[in-house]
Amino acid sequence: MNEFLIAALIIGMTILIYRGALFIYRRFRRIYTAPIILSTVMIIVLLLSFHLPYETYMVGGKWIDHLLGPAVVALAFPLHQYREILKKMLLPILTGTLIGAFIGVTSGLLLSKWAGFSELIIHSIVPKSVTTPVAMSIAESSGGVMPLAAVFVMIAGIGGVLIHPVVMRYAGLTHPLGKGVGMGSASHAIGTATSMERDPLEGSVSTIAMVLSAVIVSVMAPGLTLLLM
Amino acid sequence: MSKAVTIILQIIGLYVIYLLGTLIQTTFHLFIPGSVIGLIILFALLSFKLVPDRWLKQEVGFMITHLPFFFIPATVGVMSYAYVFEGKGALLIFIGLFSTALVMGISGFVAQWMTRRREAAHE
Repeated sequence: MNEFLIAALIIGMTILIYRGALFIYRRFRRIYTAPIILSTVMIIVLLLSFHLPYETYMVGGKWIDHLLGPAVVALAFPLHQYREILKKMLLPILTGTLIGAFIGVTSGLLLSKWAGFSELIIHSIVPKSVTTPVAMSIAESSGGVMPLAAVFVMIAGIGGVLIHPVVMRYAGLTHPLGKGVGMGSASHAIGTATSMERDPLEGSVSTIAMVLSAVIVSVMAPGLTLLLM
Repeated sequence: MSKAVTIILQIIGLYVIYLLGTLIQTTFHLFIPGSVIGLIILFALLSFKLVPDRWLKQEVGFMITHLPFFFIPATVGVMSYAYVFEGKGALLIFIGLFSTALVMGISGFVAQWMTRRREAAHE
């Protein structure tokens, strides 16, 4: 088989699995049935059972990877959609998100450094509070690895959704604006989905915080990393 | 225009903006990812209404709704790094959770405090 055929086969299989995962998610609506988790697990199981290495999968996977950049650009759409809220509440949202980005980067970096983990791991954990495609490119450009960065993003996303009732109670978050900034800054798209289901204002604020956070962390992370490593 | 054509044109449009962002990044030696520069460019284009509203109404959701699809290949790569979470590596999960709780609690608290103060000032 030539490479083109293998690539087409892999892309087709990934689309099929993703659609299947989407179908299951729409039925059960649980965070651990999120399409990205289900698809990833199904593909890994499939590869392992056929004894195929990751490199073989990437013959097709790299073509999907190419669209990651444009997908990040598309995040401008939701930000523009909620521009009225952004304009009205710019200062509280921006300040909260800035502080959140700073705490996320420094605490992740320092804790993993003090625990004695390797630089590869530290650079991969630093951008965990931002949406996966942005986190991956931040990690990669600083010496981390994309798949590990993606796992930490999942921990921040799924973990954040699981622990948010406790965190919000302790921090006294009752206003939709505070809740939205917290969810979007800490748990990106996965947190935003939870916010959206609860309250439209909280969901919109969370969307804004998620996109702003992606921009802020990508500016802030390289400098802070240099300073603290 | 059919739905499929619109989606393809949009992806091409997004790709062009992404390439422009990457070009700016490499030309000026910026450390911000080209994709994030592209995001800022597109937001500016939308704000100044340089991109037709039509774009917004039709199928714009496509790439956003299916965003997870585009990073499946990268997440599958974790199969090569499973060893990281073995033994002491399990500690990384706690670090991730603790840091996430800090971010959520403090960023939300600050935003809420500022909003309440502003609301009180308006009353």
